[in-house]
Amino acid sequence: MNAYLTLIKIDIRLAFRQRIVIFSNYLMPLLFFFVFAQAFRASQGGAILQVVAMVIVIGILGNGLIGAGIRAAQEREANILRRYKVAPISPLPLLVASTVTGLVVYLPCVLGILALATWRYGMAPIPNLASMLIFVVLGVVALRSIGLLVASVVNSTQENAIIVQIIYMAMLFLSGATLPVQIFPNWLLVVTQFIPATWLMTGLQGIMLRHETLLQNWQAAGAMLLTAAVGLLLCVKLFRWEKEEKMRPAAKLWLVAVLLPFVLLGTWQARTKENVAKTRVLSRELARSRTSLIRNARIFVGDGRVIENGAILVKAGKIANVYEGAAPDPKSLNAEPIEAAGKTVLPGLIDMHVYAAAAAQRNLAAYLYSGVTAVESVGDDAAHAREMKTIVNGGQKPGAELFTAGQVLVAHSPAEARHQVDALAQTGVSAIEVLSGFNTATLNAISKQAHADRVPLVIHTITARDVIDALRVHADGIDHGSMQDHITDDNFADMAKLGITYDPSLSAAEAAKGNVNLLNRSLVQQVVLPATLAAARNSIHTDGTANLGIARDNLLRAYRAGVPVITGSDAGIPLVFHGPTVQHEMQLWVEAGIPSQVALRAATLNAAKALNAATRIGSIEPGKEATLLIVDGNPLQDIKATEAISLVMFKGENVDRSDLLQDSRSR
Amino acid sequence: MTQPLAILVTGLTKNYGTFEAVRGLDFEVATGEVFGLLGPNGAGKTTTVEILEGIRQRTAGDVRVLDYDPDKQKNQLKDRIGVCLQATNLPDKIKVIEALQLFGALYSRMLQPDDLLKRLQLEDKREAFYSTLSGGQKQRLAIALGLINDPSLLFLDEPTTGLDPQVRLEIHALLNELRNEKRTILLTTHYIQEAEALCDRVAIVDSGKIIAIGTPRQLQDRSASRSTIEIQCEQTLNGLTIPDWPEATQTNLSEDGHRLTVSSTRPARTLVDIVKWVDAEGVELQDVHLARPTLEDVFIELTGKRLRD
Repeated sequence: MNAYLTLIKIDIRLAFRQRIVIFSNYLMPLLFFFVFAQAFRASQGGAILQVVAMVIVIGILGNGLIGAGIRAAQEREANILRRYKVAPISPLPLLVASTVTGLVVYLPCVLGILALATWRYGMAPIPNLASMLIFVVLGVVALRSIGLLVASVVNSTQENAIIVQIIYMAMLFLSGATLPVQIFPNWLLVVTQFIPATWLMTGLQGIMLRHETLLQNWQAAGAMLLTAAVGLLLCVKLFRWEKEEKMRPAAKLWLVAVLLPFVLLGTWQARTKENVAKTRVLSRELARSRTSLIRNARIFVGDGRVIENGAILVKAGKIANVYEGAAPDPKSLNAEPIEAAGKTVLPGLIDMHVYAAAAAQRNLAAYLYSGVTAVESVGDDAAHAREMKTIVNGGQKPGAELFTAGQVLVAHSPAEARHQVDALAQTGVSAIEVLSGFNTATLNAISKQAHADRVPLVIHTITARDVIDALRVHADGIDHGSMQDHITDDNFADMAKLGITYDPSLSAAEAAKGNVNLLNRSLVQQVVLPATLAAARNSIHTDGTANLGIARDNLLRAYRAGVPVITGSDAGIPLVFHGPTVQHEMQLWVEAGIPSQVALRAATLNAAKALNAATRIGSIEPGKEATLLIVDGNPLQDIKATEAISLVMFKGENVDRSDLLQDSRSR
Repeated sequence: MTQPLAILVTGLTKNYGTFEAVRGLDFEVATGEVFGLLGPNGAGKTTTVEILEGIRQRTAGDVRVLDYDPDKQKNQLKDRIGVCLQATNLPDKIKVIEALQLFGALYSRMLQPDDLLKRLQLEDKREAFYSTLSGGQKQRLAIALGLINDPSLLFLDEPTTGLDPQVRLEIHALLNELRNEKRTILLTTHYIQEAEALCDRVAIVDSGKIIAIGTPRQLQDRSASRSTIEIQCEQTLNGLTIPDWPEATQTNLSEDGHRLTVSSTRPARTLVDIVKWVDAEGVELQDVHLARPTLEDVFIELTGKRLRD
């Protein structure tokens, strides 16, 4: 024990006497820190976390590969190690002392950078600091093991420098420590999964950005621990005290052994692409973490209020503040200004009723492109919907937030119905959707079970009779209402009293008439593939039962009765394309005599409430998600202005619309 | 020998591939003895010493050092011996005192570093970095490191090679002190004078074999036949018949006839004969010189090689 302690003590003293140690452990990371902080505009939001992760990884690489590796080889070459050979010790204390020294030298740098980031760039405290520090320690130990092993298998300092540089450069440039991996194509991202530094980088970012724990990064932590252990073991085995002892060239293959955990991880990733996905998510989180100030804007709050000239401060994906009148200087807020003079900011629009293929990622991207930032999808296969939710809501791929109601219920008995409702509720659906036509007993059973499971029950009605049935079982929402019967004012009064939502789906009624003009809308042509449009043009047909006039009348009277109205388009049926659905639905409402602000409120706050998501979305208030649609002009005067999209912001990310549909369009 | 043996080597061989570096050495070193391995570079001295120190494996033969087998009881052995290697270095930025503390910590016992510094006249350099030491100071520190665990057996591999003569003398004085402490010392050298000055016994090693072993005096005596008498005369001896003295083995007259060199097995007797003869011939004697053979002569006689200085 005394040997270990003395070795460590003197090793540390020696380290601090070396100018190169001070330079590479403190000065260089500090330099990188300030340069990266400038380059990534770290003062404007979460980029500081990326910068911190980058600099820490660069530091670990330098400390591990260059610090441990080069020094070990040099000491052998300079006949320093030889002196230890005549003493009664094994190589282990030397290797352990080297590793401990590396940690002691490097950890102050980590703490310094964290302090600097907090103090100078306003970085929020890291909740999982312990996880992060342990992760850093594992990283240092693993990288030092690799460095020491390189020194163990080379025959000269020259060889050492070559191999270390190859490893160092690959790790530096491919791990995300210097080049942002967002720019990498997918195949290259897969390649990077074989590199330990990539795991260090994504692990650190996950812990800092997404508040993950060490346990959630068990793959990376485990691989590093294994690399450290295997590396140390091999180092003891292959240790050479004298430069005269040469290694066979094949000994360099031991390097593969020490990197084996990462080779396995990489191979595994080539299949699952989990960490590749995480990389995408992290860059999305980063994009969402920017601080920006939308100013000089007309703001439609969502609850009906309008701020004629105001500003919105967006921070860490949330609305941090809403200002009426002049806003503070963006510089003083460390925010990127977004000029919105002459424009109107709305909460992201919500479509409460889309169908089937809605859950395809391209469709969700089309919605996002069009400023429809949340959709409730009906009838999707549960497993597929869940997968899409992970991919899109998780941020791996861009798209509107997906709420799924799951399969439409088909039950033959009350018992079966109860069972099905319960099963659906277990999968986390946003609503139980049923078509009308069940017998009273079954409908009652469905309603009871849905309420017991605290999932809203939405009934798709066709006739006035269906509406009455729905009222009787206390449904939470009525979709379509009726396009063929006039619903009574009494029924609407009941709905108003019970707070039952009404989704008239005028788009569906209109589409049923085969209106070819629907194909000529600019936004539709922007988001729908040309082939799909052509096919639609060739297969226009009309459906006799729907009457747009009756549907409009029902809506107007529902509004007048005070029913909470919401927008649903039925997208997925012919002529109603996934994308700019809500805009057109609102136009139909306004044509029916609904005031613009009522239509807008139905498409935002009302819909959010119906989704039980009003605490997060649906209005522009501090604390809510910064999911916004900025349009040219004033939709309160002309609802068509909602189609003149200037910018879509999704959870704080300034959505790059030009890029959204790129991939699928070229395919 | 009544004292226990510090080192016992029988039939030691060491091959590097097909090259036989050590080819069957037998020797023993008594406790308290200063034993020298003398030989040219490449004779196998360092290999032999490193095998004894437990840092190199032997190919065959029996070796006991302090009653340990260096191959099998490496760490017990290393803990008890002190070693001053031929070519070692320390980190540039390590202080003298730190080097002693560092290596001291590796052993089960440790002398007071400050006492050692004093003894090796390094106390002024206590806080100096290794890189600032002179060659002699570095060598003294190396010896200090060899003594840090108060070893009962000290190995010194070419302790003065590469040092200038002045420093070499300093180190010799130091080693003589150690010798007076009755520590067993095994040293290798290719300096004859060093072996003569320091060693109780010397083994002459060449091409991996011991070709002679004994006290420096015994080795010289073994070559007594080569004691030479040299006379310098005022007149030339050319033209005179040089007699055949009974014990003389070889006679040489310089070209000008002024200098006569005679080798003899009984130099004292022959000297008297020569002086008598010169006197009888009426030649004026200018100078007389009697030279005993040096270890170097012995070496050359035995190996036919010269030791490089």
